[in-house]
Amino acid sequence: MDTKNKVKEVLANLLKVKIEELKDASTLIDSIGVDSTEMVESVIALEKSFGVKLSPKEITKNCTINDIVSNIDQKLTK
Amino acid sequence: MEKIAITGIGVVTPSGIGKRQFWANIKSGRSFIKEITRFDASLYPSHIAGQIDDLEKYSHISERLLKKIDAFSHMALVAAESALQDAGIDIKNEDPNLVGIFLGNAIGGWLYAETELRDLYLEGREGVSPYMASAWFPAAPQGQVSIYYGIKGFSKTVVSDRASSLMALGYARKVLAKNKLNMILGGGMEAPVTPYALLCCNTYGTLSKNNQDPQGAYRPFDSKRSGFVIGEGAGIVVMENIARVQSRNAKILGLISGYGTSCDGVDRINCAADGKELARAIRMALNDAAANPEEIGYISLDGLAVELWDNSEIKALESVFGNNLKKIPVSCPKSMFGNLLGASGAVDMIIALKVMEYGLVPPTLNLDQPVSSGLNFVAKEAKEYKVNKSLIISRGRGGINSVLVVEKV
Repeated sequence: MDTKNKVKEVLANLLKVKIEELKDASTLIDSIGVDSTEMVESVIALEKSFGVKLSPKEITKNCTINDIVSNIDQKLTK
Repeated sequence: MEKIAITGIGVVTPSGIGKRQFWANIKSGRSFIKEITRFDASLYPSHIAGQIDDLEKYSHISERLLKKIDAFSHMALVAAESALQDAGIDIKNEDPNLVGIFLGNAIGGWLYAETELRDLYLEGREGVSPYMASAWFPAAPQGQVSIYYGIKGFSKTVVSDRASSLMALGYARKVLAKNKLNMILGGGMEAPVTPYALLCCNTYGTLSKNNQDPQGAYRPFDSKRSGFVIGEGAGIVVMENIARVQSRNAKILGLISGYGTSCDGVDRINCAADGKELARAIRMALNDAAANPEEIGYISLDGLAVELWDNSEIKALESVFGNNLKKIPVSCPKSMFGNLLGASGAVDMIIALKVMEYGLVPPTLNLDQPVSSGLNFVAKEAKEYKVNKSLIISRGRGGINSVLVVEKV
């Protein structure tokens, strides 16, 4: 599974939203109205799923799915 | 003080969710106390309760929100929705700054808390849900109801053991009478059927251990009483000023006309044996309602099914009502679904409204040999009485007394 689909799957399962609601180019706040606690939870879940260290300053509610994917991909290729 | 109207009822109990189902079961005198099945409680001295198994069927709360909240907030959200629907109120049409929430709770959201605490010790801090901090504490349902509906007015959560929700209603009435708000969602919720909460209730030492006969275990005022049985649920009502109800042509289901409260101040667990402070709270409520004791047509008893508590309640009633007490029907319907602790007073008040509406007093279950012949106990089955004013008694640990008078329009 590519990074984008995996990110969407992790977030959809965690936040109990539909995968279709997670739009590639929309921010998480715009697409699903994510709150700050959900962001804390999301960062931890993404770290566990991808085995990378992510900072809550990098992954914010103003990130799009594309932003998150590119951040994780960069860390995976380092 | 001004009388405040109740215009909507929301009820979530082991005896039914929604006022129709609830009242049908209450008037028929059916017991809903069973062996606990949510978890293995077989080693607890008392492992019976009034348990709600079908809340999801009545709930419109998303899975996304459910994972962030405890069962007691879920019950409050379902009860609040039902109360608003019953009152015909669309909250979007209200000024959110003039809507308040006054709820009572005794123990908090322990199912959520104990699950996360287990994970803390097993997995470390990263194993704990970030929602833990906002899910377990007694004011969490107030917060969730406020977020769900965008309510922003003056609100409070009362934590006063089993007297919590009746106190919340008394306080809410005071706030409305001062014209500080347009309307209030008032009542309470409790979810004690969890491993840790049940343990604490058992430690309290006054739960019935009659696990062999769950339906016969809770016997308030009976000579074979053996303590109370816990239950879970919520009771929430919509409260408004009478003028506002009339202006929107809504139906008034009943009026809260009097409230009294006092503390025994003798022991950290027990109440005072003499019932004097409870009697003072009853008189306070009657004075507030400008009602003579003779006008009270129904008394909803606290009925802990513990000798000290039942007897002091009887003493307080005898002292206030004197010889007239024998004429007033009294009952303790919570013997059917369990003592909802911090939510018990609000649910008792909802029953009192139904008593006045239908002229039918529901029974106290298992009252085969009353410990006193001085009271007109309604036992075994419901009895018809025309009731215009009711008095509800709710008491908490250490002798916290709370009394409400409600009346028919």
